[in-house]
Amino acid sequence: MTLATVDYLVLALYFAFVIGIGWLLKKKVSTSSDFLTSGRSLPVWITSLAFIATNLGAQEVIGMCGSGAKYGIMQMHFYWLGAIPAMLFVGLFMMPFYYGSRARSVPEYLKLRFDEKTRTFNAVSFAVMTIFSSGVSMHVLGKLFQLVLGWNYLRSVLLAAAIVLVYTTLGGLTSAIYNEVLQFFLIVLGFAPLSILAVMKAGGWSGIQQNLAPKWTHAWQYMGNAADNPMGSDMFSVVVGLGFVLSFGYWCTNFLVVQRAMAADSMSSARRTPIIAAFPKMFMPLIVILPGIAALALAKMHSGYALPMLDGKLDADMVMISLMGKFYPAGLLGVGITALMASFMSGMAGNVTAFNTVWTYDIYQSHIRKGAPDSHYLMVGRISTLVGTLLSVGAAWVAHFYKNIMDLLQLVFGVVNAPLFATFLLGMFWLRATGLGAFAGLVSGTAAGLLTLALTMAEDKGGWIANLHTFRSTMAQNFWIAMVSFAVCFVVTVLLSIVGKAKPLSELKGLVWGATERPRTAAGEPWHKRPVPLALVALGICIAINIWLW
Amino acid sequence: MWDLRLPAGLYFTGLGIILCAYGLLFPNVRAQMAADINVNLYSGIAMGVFGLALLALAWRKRS
Repeated sequence: MTLATVDYLVLALYFAFVIGIGWLLKKKVSTSSDFLTSGRSLPVWITSLAFIATNLGAQEVIGMCGSGAKYGIMQMHFYWLGAIPAMLFVGLFMMPFYYGSRARSVPEYLKLRFDEKTRTFNAVSFAVMTIFSSGVSMHVLGKLFQLVLGWNYLRSVLLAAAIVLVYTTLGGLTSAIYNEVLQFFLIVLGFAPLSILAVMKAGGWSGIQQNLAPKWTHAWQYMGNAADNPMGSDMFSVVVGLGFVLSFGYWCTNFLVVQRAMAADSMSSARRTPIIAAFPKMFMPLIVILPGIAALALAKMHSGYALPMLDGKLDADMVMISLMGKFYPAGLLGVGITALMASFMSGMAGNVTAFNTVWTYDIYQSHIRKGAPDSHYLMVGRISTLVGTLLSVGAAWVAHFYKNIMDLLQLVFGVVNAPLFATFLLGMFWLRATGLGAFAGLVSGTAAGLLTLALTMAEDKGGWIANLHTFRSTMAQNFWIAMVSFAVCFVVTVLLSIVGKAKPLSELKGLVWGATERPRTAAGEPWHKRPVPLALVALGICIAINIWLW
Repeated sequence: MWDLRLPAGLYFTGLGIILCAYGLLFPNVRAQMAADINVNLYSGIAMGVFGLALLALAWRKRS
């Protein structure tokens, strides 16, 4: 695949705009709070779109399309069963504490609610995780561009990283968020034609259904038995492992996304950020997963399209780009490549801006240098943006040498996020939960997750100590690891909290359900400005989609 | 804070113009599996309309 002059023009126009936005926002940054938390001043439609965009990294977009071809329509549960309920939950029930506590980050909430050691544990594991996920995402993109476009791996990785660095260092979180909105539009408009063209070619949805076995096009019907569906998972592990533990763990506790809502201009906006985001989010699978399913049908139809294979197995990461090669002419191909670049940048900027906030406030300010003037922390914020970017490049470089490190990291992310959700659930809704309980729960939950990974295998992965059980897919293994680490964290936290001494009620004000005034919306606000009715509408639509594709 | 719809609107209008112009000037540039459709022209129109809509919203707020 080669790009024409017009494609480079499209790409250059995009680069000019993202840097321009960073440049325009530079004047607005005068304090560390402006730089790291946007001074809590952004309108709700912007924070909502940024909330989705920051999760739409290149790995997500490329991976979801490939998984559509690998697991069929069941992959959409990552959205409808996973993301949507979790996003509604975080908006309705958790945002009052995140936003209301005036914490500047998720680890800082843990410090207010529990203690310094719980915060530090979370801050460090989160910081390491963000560096690796932006590094891995960078690696995926660099490899793809090298393979398909023949670009130099190192040069394309460095170019993309440099542009992200320029606009995040100039305008901080606001610049990252504004660009994420632009990137979100570009991702939607750049990938939607691919979905439309691929589905049309396959004869519409009915054509896809005719060409594929029913297990590929029904979301729930074949979930009774793990052996019957492409994902190799039964209903329990999908609903509990993915729907409850993994998704709530990610969307409710990951500072990367929560930070976007915390930048909103009011409590009502902060609560509505994930809820409004749920509306476009539930239709994203039509753009990112559906083309993968269409690719599967096209390959069966002898239409001239063949699925990309590697060593006799589906090469999932190549599905999206192989479709683009067949359906996009020069011109729109440039837009598609730009959209891939945009998704990479929004993911990376999300990681870098979350990293610099956690590093500056939760590690540097609380352990290395307390009580310095604000201008010092603004400088630290800027420098840690640079350091974070360099570390991500380093992580990409590591991933470049060890092919399997990426699969491993995916599993490790599950181990980090899942127990954290138990900690937050107990911290926000149970007055008795103690700092010692939370800390011990987090450590033992994380350890239990890693141990499960070391004792089981799936697709020849894991099982370093022994193999007690073999899962049908890495996906199924992932679900079970998450459930184990969640359960262990939950039980340990509860047990240690019961024997320990809880904080007095006065110290928990604004931090825990039962010690906090419920946020009220002003009387006479229309329904779309009130979180609860808005969430109910979103939930209703989501349930309807599931019934339709049962 | 200035209105993001202004730069975003400008960007997508620009993108729409490039794609439409390319689709009209080189109508024979087609992709292998979408050879019967002028993909550039139609997606250019869609992006241009989206960009203009953003500009209209930004302009309406200002006046």
